[in-house]
Amino acid sequence: MSRLRKDPRAERATKTVAEAGRRPRLDLGRREASPASGRPRRDPWREWAASLAGETVTGPERKRYDRSQRQMNRADAARFAKERQSLDATDISPGQPALRVVEAPAFAVFAVVEAAGGRLSRFDRQVLGAARLLADAGDGGGAVVAIVPESVEALGEAGADRVLALPGAATPAIRASMLRSAVEEHGPRHVILAEEGDSADIARRLAACLGEPLFADVEHLTARQAVRAIRGGRAEIGLAPPRLMTIGEDRAKPHEAVPCEARPLEDAAAARLDDPAILSVEIIPGDPAKLALSETDFVVSAGNGVNDFAAFRDLAAVMKATPGASRVVCDAGLMPRQAQVGASGTVLAADCYLALGISGAPQHLQGIAGCEHVIAVNTDLHAAMIERAGLAIVQDAQLVMPALLKLLQERGA
Amino acid sequence: MKTIVLLSDARNPVSGRAQLSRLEAQAIGLAADLDETPQGLHVGPGEEGVAAGLGHGLRGLDVVEAPEGEDPLPALAAFLKDALSGDAPPALVLCGRRGEGGLETGLVPYLLAEALGLPILADAVAMRPGEAPGTLVVDQAMAKGARRRITARLPAIVTVHPLSSPPQPFAFGRMRRGDIRRHAAAVCEVPVDVGAGERPHRARPKLMRTAGTASGGANLHVGPEPEEAARLILAYLEENGIRGYGRG
Amino acid sequence: MTAAAFLPWLVVAMLLVAAVQIGRRVRLWRGGKPATVDWFAGLKALPKRYLVDVHHVVDRDKSASRMHVPTAGGLVLACGLLGFGLVPAITASRLYWALVALAFLVMGAGVVLEARRRYPRALPRLSLGLWQRLPVHLGVFAAGGFLTALLAALGNPLPALSFVLFFPAAAAGLALAATTASGPMRHALAGATHLVAHPRPPRFEHQAAKGDTTGLRPLDLEADKLGAETPADFAWNRLLAFDACVQCGRCEAACPAFAAGQPLSPKHLIADLAAASGGGHARPYAGNPYPNERAIGGAAGMHAPIVSPDGIVHPDTLWSCTTCRACVEECPMMIEHVDAIVDLRRYQTLELGALPLKAEEPLANYRGCDEPSGRPLYERTDFAAGLSLPRIVERGEAEVLLWLGQAAYDLRGQRTLKALIQTLNAAGVDFAVLGGQERDCGDLARRLGDEATFQRLATANIEILSRYRFSRILTADPHALHVIRNEYPAFGGSYEVVHHTAFLAELVESGRLAPASLAGRTITYHDPCYLGRYNGEVEAPRALLDALGLERREMARSGKRSMCCGGGGGAPSADIPGDTRIPDIRMVQVKETGAKTVAVACPQCTAMLEGVTGERPEVKDVAELLWEAIEAGRRKPAGAAPTRELQPA
Repeated sequence: MSRLRKDPRAERATKTVAEAGRRPRLDLGRREASPASGRPRRDPWREWAASLAGETVTGPERKRYDRSQRQMNRADAARFAKERQSLDATDISPGQPALRVVEAPAFAVFAVVEAAGGRLSRFDRQVLGAARLLADAGDGGGAVVAIVPESVEALGEAGADRVLALPGAATPAIRASMLRSAVEEHGPRHVILAEEGDSADIARRLAACLGEPLFADVEHLTARQAVRAIRGGRAEIGLAPPRLMTIGEDRAKPHEAVPCEARPLEDAAAARLDDPAILSVEIIPGDPAKLALSETDFVVSAGNGVNDFAAFRDLAAVMKATPGASRVVCDAGLMPRQAQVGASGTVLAADCYLALGISGAPQHLQGIAGCEHVIAVNTDLHAAMIERAGLAIVQDAQLVMPALLKLLQERGA
Repeated sequence: MKTIVLLSDARNPVSGRAQLSRLEAQAIGLAADLDETPQGLHVGPGEEGVAAGLGHGLRGLDVVEAPEGEDPLPALAAFLKDALSGDAPPALVLCGRRGEGGLETGLVPYLLAEALGLPILADAVAMRPGEAPGTLVVDQAMAKGARRRITARLPAIVTVHPLSSPPQPFAFGRMRRGDIRRHAAAVCEVPVDVGAGERPHRARPKLMRTAGTASGGANLHVGPEPEEAARLILAYLEENGIRGYGRG
Repeated sequence: MTAAAFLPWLVVAMLLVAAVQIGRRVRLWRGGKPATVDWFAGLKALPKRYLVDVHHVVDRDKSASRMHVPTAGGLVLACGLLGFGLVPAITASRLYWALVALAFLVMGAGVVLEARRRYPRALPRLSLGLWQRLPVHLGVFAAGGFLTALLAALGNPLPALSFVLFFPAAAAGLALAATTASGPMRHALAGATHLVAHPRPPRFEHQAAKGDTTGLRPLDLEADKLGAETPADFAWNRLLAFDACVQCGRCEAACPAFAAGQPLSPKHLIADLAAASGGGHARPYAGNPYPNERAIGGAAGMHAPIVSPDGIVHPDTLWSCTTCRACVEECPMMIEHVDAIVDLRRYQTLELGALPLKAEEPLANYRGCDEPSGRPLYERTDFAAGLSLPRIVERGEAEVLLWLGQAAYDLRGQRTLKALIQTLNAAGVDFAVLGGQERDCGDLARRLGDEATFQRLATANIEILSRYRFSRILTADPHALHVIRNEYPAFGGSYEVVHHTAFLAELVESGRLAPASLAGRTITYHDPCYLGRYNGEVEAPRALLDALGLERREMARSGKRSMCCGGGGGAPSADIPGDTRIPDIRMVQVKETGAKTVAVACPQCTAMLEGVTGERPEVKDVAELLWEAIEAGRRKPAGAAPTRELQPA
């Protein structure tokens, strides 16, 4: 299946006959070279075949549908291409180049990413996605310039055309002044930052020293306008996307189309900047065991299927996770009340949730609605938590816990 | 050390009534640990709402009277400039992150720092005086519970993070006894830049944060050996960059 | 010379010792704040207050009244008779001594009855220590006095023996008198004075408005110090009241927080408050400790803070109270425990802001948006979409103003309110609601000690209410009912407030509603504290339930002596941990009746009882049951199964 997608509007345009002094009319018999959009036509059969999931587990006789109603992303496509010889990778997206290159950008859009530990976070991808959107706005031709503090992987996939590293800054003040010189050198059309942590700080420092307005905490971003809430969320302002913006979390889609090249830019002479007001800087890593549930990024949680709580606490400590629990466990006094996850306990903002022996009551699932990655270990195949999980293991949590501990100890040794 | 807490004209999101922002109440709590008599500063039409700061532990409150809807920045800068050049200059100016109920850009502390030429530190969760006189140790909140401990030279402006300790409880008696000093605004001509095209807010959905088995059935494993299950879990965690164990 | 001749002088000596001892307490009372006391009226009413009101409460425990009447009567009689013995001529009469001996004999009989309550094992609610030795002292005094007088009546055949008998009596008598400062006998003098100078004299007038008897008194927000921090901040007659305590432990037995293992015992608290003014660290208290007692510093004094981890009452004790007034209802000495607790809370909240963490949130919401749940006022009527619910602002007047209260924000409470509104519509009642103009009545703020917020809300609500014309306020929330009926008058708003159970009973009685019979179902009725105990309304809901033909079974604790659900006084917000939850205890009592349904009449009770997990009887508001019966009546053909006539219970 490699026919190109039809473009009805363009076809109609080619069949329109304009004559002076008369209304334009359609000539249905007219057949000219149809203007190819270049996009391939969808093949629902093939997508259906690709979305038949679970064949590694349940065997070919029992098929499960992908109920996500999503088109396949590139990672999945590649996986199926590998696993199913009958599909070849190019078939999924034929006619598209493997890499998108912007040779001579018309303008630049700066996307400032934190990329802690050299990995792009979810929010970082969203910032890059927002920048990509603005770079392709209008006539397009803009380049997304990712401003990174160190070397970061997978920037191209996230939509960065260029990468500008501003290394070695200890404080937001120094990063802001480095960013300021980069802005002055490259003159980007937009600078986008995350409304979170240091990025939010840097955005305001930049706005203050450039003397420019900042459009903070954007809630809705399109090529034509940026919208932010004001007056305690009762009113909003919409403008054409301004120059300095911070974007709210989960407000912009990450880039999912063809990877960009992420070509490194020459470092401007790395002027060693100093912040005279700062005498010393020290980073104190967080201790997950002591963190509040609302602040942590990784929770290991115990439910009815766990009865060895000493092992559970050990496991949480070794996994560098914050221990949590279901309501039943807290009611029984096996875990403290502060550990309760759910609508009546703590609503999590963690990235990952490992549910051991939790079936997933509705109130509990409300508490983990914000978790991107959920791992469920449960004996009941039909538990709600199994369906919710990104990795679901139907097995007794009491057996998996010692195995995990053992494996982690081997790794640590 | 003498500490001033800036109090903004916050509005209750439900009733729209003037109130003290919770973050500023937390700032007062932090200030009270450093200064026995923390003072508040507010620019606005009156002390309604911000007077609650006295109930949360402020000992005095300066209100620079300015008509509603006017940019508070010049009056703030003028008042603080006077204070900094006075006999007992403040060592520390604390503030929240952004207004609540106004334009909410969070720029005021930064513009103030620019105007006064003071360093600014964001997102403080804890503070204590440094070993050397005239210094302050600030713990800044970072992601995943990490803290950045910065020793800074005073005077400085510090904004407070919501994860700092909860505010001192409100006590009506303390508010009643607090000292409110009213001042006339020296400069008042700049109306705040109310964004043209202000319109009623429309709630927009956020991106979904789920990646369930529904989208990747290959990740459902029925009855694997516990060792295999453990291996799968660690592989998943490492693949998604949650944690790296040993080899990650 | 006989020993009996010394008996009158012994009484004189005892009185002197007692006077010196009680004088020490009087000096402490004088350290309290002034209070206006009508001494003349108080003294005039004393016999009635003592013989009727006090006896009525004491007599609920027959063993106590049978013990106390002869003991106290005999003691007063014997001492009074011996007073005449100071006249030498009278002592010559053998008849006189026979009378004295008889008085001592009566007293002795009482002491035997008292001793049986304490020996071999005391009732669990009684205090030990000095109180346990009291029957010994009284017994020796009575026996010695009796035998000495008896010998004198017999013509003094054995003078030596009479001296042998007299000395133990004298020792016991003086020991008794010595306990007037801080021991058991204090209750006699302080108790009598307390009845004369009671801080709520209308309590003894049975026609008095409930506002004077159960409503909290307004606090002057301009005062130098708000609420009570030290013993000196209590009015002097409140300090006196603490001294009147007999440590009988009835309050403790009735206290829901004590039963649930929360660190509160009203008896212990009153004993602590009495001891606080004396100062010092050693406090002889020999009753049950506070359950799960918290460690305290124990510093006390007339000007030392009472409630503090260093003081003598731990804050958790203060915040465990549900303000259900069960202790006040049970107290034979007419002590007002709840007033004391609220005074202490007022200081903690208004001056220190030292509330339990979770209780700060509703108060912050009150300050922000007048509603403890933090919900907007205009959403109060959202639940009634689709129901006919007129707003009074559109009409300016209505026969009945329906006060919705906080239940309108709660899913469970909304079901009750919907049933009520449908019933009112079915009966054709001319009613309306304030809608978005209704602020919270302020009950929770006031019980948590935030008098400033309460007064602000009360004033604002009264201002709104003054804009409209209506003849009665109807509410399904006994807390709102109590506050508006009994506590708003102090701020200038006097209204006739009726609870929905009473109002619906009226409608059924007058024939405006025709509910079908729900016969065949067994129910039990849980009295809300703020309706039954605070306002004495225990009959209307029962009459209504009976009119529905339900088989009503009473719990052991019902009516004015009902047990609290645990939902009052901000206790759920304070959430002081105990061994169990109060509603769980109450639900066990419900189950004991075997009823399948527990009828309630308060949104707090509904929420608390519905929060009980496991298998339990269903919880239904009286309004819901009535609406069910009305709907059943509509389904049935006319004339079938006539409802029973409503009879006053």
